Amino acid sequence: MAVKDYIAPSSVDDAVAVLSEHGADARPFAGGTDLIIQVRERRRQVGIMLDVKKIPELMEYSIGADGSLRVGAAVACARLYNDAEVARRFPALIDSASLIGGIQIQSRASLGGNLCNSSPAGDSIPTLIALGATCEIAGRGGRRTVPVESFCTGPGANVLQPGELLVSLTFPAPAANSGAAFERFIPRNEMDIAVANAAANVTLSADGATFTAARIAIGAVAPTALLVAETGAALAGKPVSADTIAAAAAAARAAARPITDMRGSADQRRHLAGVLVTRVIEKAVERARKA
Amino acid sequence: MTSPTLPKLIGARIKRREDPRLIQGRGTYVDDIKLAGMLHMAFKRSDIAHGRIVSIDTSAAEAMEGVECVLTGAQLAEFLGPMPILTPFPAPPHYAVATDTVRYAGEPVAVVVATDRYVARDAADAIQVEFDPLPVVVDPDRALAGDPAVLHPDLTNILGQTGSNIALYVPAGTGFDPVAGTVDNSAIDAAFANAEVVISQRMWNQRLVPNAMEPRGVVAHWEPGKDTLTVWSSTQNPHTARNTFCGLLGLGQDQVRVIAPEVGGGFGAKINIYGEDYVACAVSRRLGLPVKWIEDRSEAFVATTHGRDIVADLEIAAKRDGTILGLRVKLIADIGAYEMLLTALVPTLTNGMLSGVYDIPAIRSELYEVFTNKTPTDAYRGAGRPEGIYFVERGIDMLARELGMDPGELRRKNFIKPDKFPFMTQAGNQYDSGNYEAALDLALKNANWEGLKRERDAARAEGRVVGLGMSFYVEICGIGGWEHASVTVHADGRITATTGTSPHGQGHETTFSTLLSGQFGVPADRITIVHGDTAMVKAGNGTLGSRSQVSGGTAIMNAGEKVKGRMAEFAAFMLGAEAEAKADELEFVDGRIQLAGTPSIGKTFEEVAAFAYMGAGNAAGAGMGYPEGGAGLTDEAFWEPAGATFPFGCHIAMVEVDRDTGELAVKKLVAIDDCGTVVNPLIVEGQVHGGLAQGIGQALLEGAVYDEDGQLLTGSFMDYAMPRASDLPRFELDKTTTVSPHTPLGTKGIGEAGTIGSTPCIVNAAVDALSPFGVTHLDMPLRPELLWRIIQGGAQ
Repeated sequence: MAVKDYIAPSSVDDAVAVLSEHGADARPFAGGTDLIIQVRERRRQVGIMLDVKKIPELMEYSIGADGSLRVGAAVACARLYNDAEVARRFPALIDSASLIGGIQIQSRASLGGNLCNSSPAGDSIPTLIALGATCEIAGRGGRRTVPVESFCTGPGANVLQPGELLVSLTFPAPAANSGAAFERFIPRNEMDIAVANAAANVTLSADGATFTAARIAIGAVAPTALLVAETGAALAGKPVSADTIAAAAAAARAAARPITDMRGSADQRRHLAGVLVTRVIEKAVERARKA
Repeated sequence: MTSPTLPKLIGARIKRREDPRLIQGRGTYVDDIKLAGMLHMAFKRSDIAHGRIVSIDTSAAEAMEGVECVLTGAQLAEFLGPMPILTPFPAPPHYAVATDTVRYAGEPVAVVVATDRYVARDAADAIQVEFDPLPVVVDPDRALAGDPAVLHPDLTNILGQTGSNIALYVPAGTGFDPVAGTVDNSAIDAAFANAEVVISQRMWNQRLVPNAMEPRGVVAHWEPGKDTLTVWSSTQNPHTARNTFCGLLGLGQDQVRVIAPEVGGGFGAKINIYGEDYVACAVSRRLGLPVKWIEDRSEAFVATTHGRDIVADLEIAAKRDGTILGLRVKLIADIGAYEMLLTALVPTLTNGMLSGVYDIPAIRSELYEVFTNKTPTDAYRGAGRPEGIYFVERGIDMLARELGMDPGELRRKNFIKPDKFPFMTQAGNQYDSGNYEAALDLALKNANWEGLKRERDAARAEGRVVGLGMSFYVEICGIGGWEHASVTVHADGRITATTGTSPHGQGHETTFSTLLSGQFGVPADRITIVHGDTAMVKAGNGTLGSRSQVSGGTAIMNAGEKVKGRMAEFAAFMLGAEAEAKADELEFVDGRIQLAGTPSIGKTFEEVAAFAYMGAGNAAGAGMGYPEGGAGLTDEAFWEPAGATFPFGCHIAMVEVDRDTGELAVKKLVAIDDCGTVVNPLIVEGQVHGGLAQGIGQALLEGAVYDEDGQLLTGSFMDYAMPRASDLPRFELDKTTTVSPHTPLGTKGIGEAGTIGSTPCIVNAAVDALSPFGVTHLDMPLRPELLWRIIQGGAQ
C-alpha cells in the first residue's frame, strides 16, 4: 500500500534498470507535482518512487546549431520561461510553461512530467503537438523516438512500455515567417484545470498574407490532446482572413469529442475549442508577422 | 449630530505591527505547539451522508504500532455528553462523535490517539464501519416537507412538532407581536392590495465554505496533580471556549486556560466550539497526556461549519413612482444536519436586515430553518446580514428595472431620511444613525455614474456585453455583549493592556496600541497588547460580528482613562508643593505629564510611573504618604454599547462578459463605506479589500455543491474556486463619516462590510449586462457556462 522505496539514479541506464526490474511498481517523477498528490490521495499505487532529477541528461536543455531545442524531460518549467533566448524563439512553449500551476509548481514541474501524466487537459501537450516535438524514449533495448501527438493514448495512458523512460523532447527550429501560441479556458483567471485548451503553429507566406502550413492541437475535449489535421488543412494555402480562421475553428469543433463533467458541459467545451482555436491562430499570425 | 472630540493619532495611517512577524513566518500557531509526550488524534469520518451505524471494527487500528487507543462515539459518550449551544431554541442532542446515526458526510464516528500524526491517520483509515443507509435529504424545500427523511425524529421543535425537519420557525416584521406570538397581516396585505407594481422572485444565497488560511487545530493538556487543563485552540473567542469546556467537562473556570495563539483567519467559522476540541480535552484528561489535533484542508471542507445557504421568496409592493409600500419574504435556511453554537441565530439576523436602508412601511417575513444531510452552517463573514441585504438589494434592482428608473434614484426616493434617526425599522432593528444620500452622492460622483452609463451604452452598441450595478448596504454591528479590558502602566513607564477581543488577522495590537498611545502621550512601541489567553485576560467575548473596535476599543480607552486619572493624581502629588498642580489640570503629552499651559511644570511619564510603585524612597523611615487608593497603576473596564451600530455604504461596479466564453470581468468597483470614525485607515481599507474579495468570490466563483447522495462535490480547492488577486479589479475606496451616538469615538464597525455590499452589486451589474438577453435575475455563482448559455439563448 505505502511507498516502499525512493531511488534517485544518476544515469538513464540506471533508471532503466530500476524500471525494468520493478515494472509498473516503480514510477519515475521529476517535480512530483502530479505523482506525489496521486499517491497521497491513493489514486495511484506506487512501490518505488524513482526520482529522475539526479540524471544530468534529463536536467539539461540546449538550443542546437540548427535552431532546434532539446529539453531534458525533467527540466522545470520556470527554467525555460526564465531563459530569454528560449522565450524569444519558442513563445508558445512559454505560454504553456508559465500557465502550469503557480510559481512554486512551475519551479518543480517539467514538460516531460506533464506529458507523461497524460492528462487530457495537460497544459503543455497541445503546444508540444503544435510545435511538432519528438519524444526520445530510453528502454533496455536502446532508444526510440515517437512524435508527441502519438505519445498519449488515453487519460493517464501513453506509449511508454514497462522499463521505458522519457528522456527528452526535441522541438524543430521554427520555420521562417512562422508563429505559435497557446491558450486555455479555465473557470477563473489562474491556477486551474483547463475546460478546454488549444495551440496553433502557423507558417505564413513571405508577405504574411497566406497560410502556407499550420499545425493546430486542442486539449481537454477528447481522451487525449488532439492534432487536428483537418484544421491545419483548412488553413494551408488559404489567405489569412476571418473566414479562413472561422473554417479552421469549425473543423476543430467537429474534431472535438468532449465529455460533460463538473468543469464544463460537452457542448460548452466543443464551443470553446472553436473559440480558442480562433484566438490562438490570430495570436500565432500576429507573432509570425512580427518574426 | 456633533462629532466627538477625538484623541490624537486617530485617523493616522499606521502600519500593522503584526505584519513583520506574520509575513516572515515567525508567528506561533497551534500546530507550532509541541509538548513533551504529546499524542496525536485523527478522526474516522463517515463517508455517507445519512445512516445508522451497525458496527465499528477498530481491531486493525488498535493493533497498529504507535496507536494508544481508539474510541468510538458510543465509548466517548460514556464520559463526554452532548455539545452545548448558545441559542435558546429546542435543538437535537449532538455528540462530538456520532453515537448511533450519522447525518452528514464527514461526521466523525471514531477517534484514534497515537504517537504521531501519520500513524493516527493510517489507523483511522483502518477502522471499518458498517452503515445501514437512510434516505438522504439535500433539497431544503423537500426537507421542509420531511421528504424523503426526517433527520431528528425525536426532536420536538419550537412549533411543538415532532417528526419534522423544521429546526426553527421565526416570523418577524409589521404586526408581529413577539410577546403574544401573534401576527396581524392587515398592514402588509393592504400594502400589496394598494400596489401598482409587484416584484416577485425566488433567489438563493448559496452555501459557502469559509476556508480560513489556517484550518482548525487544538492542543489540550491536562496536568494530573495540578488538575488543570490548558488548551491551545485556533479560535475567535477563547473565553467562550473555556466556558463551554468547563461546562461539558465539569471543571471550574480557574482550572481551564484557553490560549488562542496566532490564528490564521476565522471568518466566523472559528466562533463555534467543535467536537474535535471537546474530544481533545476529554481524551487528554483521561490519558493524563497532552494531545493534538490539526485539521487538514480536506477535513476543513466538511468538518468546519459552512455559511449562508438561504432561499428567499421575495415580493415587493410599490407604486409606479417608485414608492415602496411593502416587502414580504419567506426564507428557508438550509442549516445542515445539526445545530452548532450559533447556527439557529444566524438566519434570524437575515430577518432583521430586510428593511435595508429603506423606509418601508410594512414588512412581513417568515423564516424556516431546516435540517438537511449536510455539514452544519454557522456564522460566516456577515452572518445573516449579507443574505438579507442581498435579497433586498436584488429586489430593489429588479423594481428599478421594472419601473425604468435609475437604480440610484429609486434608492434615494426610499432612503430613511437623516432626520428620522434613531429609526426603528419594520424588520425590528433600531438604526442608530445614517446619512445615506451623502454616501450615494459620493459613490455616483467617484464612479462618474452618468459617464459609466454612456460608456456602457456605447459598448453595447458595439455588441459588447457590459453592465452597471449598484448596491446600498447597512449592517448591524456592536452586538455580542460587553467587552472587557485592563490597562497597566508598569513601574518603568511601559504599558500592558489586555483585551477580551481575540484578533485573528484584524490588527488589534496596532489599533489598540494606537488608541492608548494617543491617550497617554507615549509612543506606541512602549505598549504591549495582550489577547487570546484566558489566564491573562480576565474576561472577553471574542472577535466576531465587527464588534472589536466598538466594544473592545472603547473598553480599552475606558480602562486607560481610569489609569490616566490615577496617574494624574500621583503626578499632582509629586508636583503639588511647587506648583499646586491639580490632577484635572494636567495633560499627557510627548512622554510628560505637565500643567496645561505651563509645560515646564511637569514630570516625565517614567518618573510618575516609578513613583506610583516606589514612592520617593523612605529615607526618614516614615512612609511618603501616597494619595488615597494605594500604589500601582492598573485598572479595568467592562463596556457595552447602549445599542447596536449600523454602518452602511454604497458600492458601484461595471462588469463585462466575454461573448464567446461567458467569462465575467469586473472592470470597475467603487466602494463608499461609512463605518463612523476611522481609527486607522490602513486597517479599515484592508478589511474592506478582504471583504470585497470575499463578496465577489460569492458572486462569481464560490459554492458548496452537494449531489443527491449528500456528497460534497466541491470538496477541495480544485473544485471550490476561491477568488484570487487576478480575479479582482483595482478597488476604488472612499468614505463618508456618520458617527454612532452609541460609542464615545463614534466608531461603528467595518470587518464584514465589504462582503455585504459587493455581492449584490456584482450580481446587479451582471443582470444589467445580460438584460438585453431578457435576464431579470441570476442565481450565484455566475460561472462562465451559465452566462455563456444565456448569451447563446439557451436555458438559464
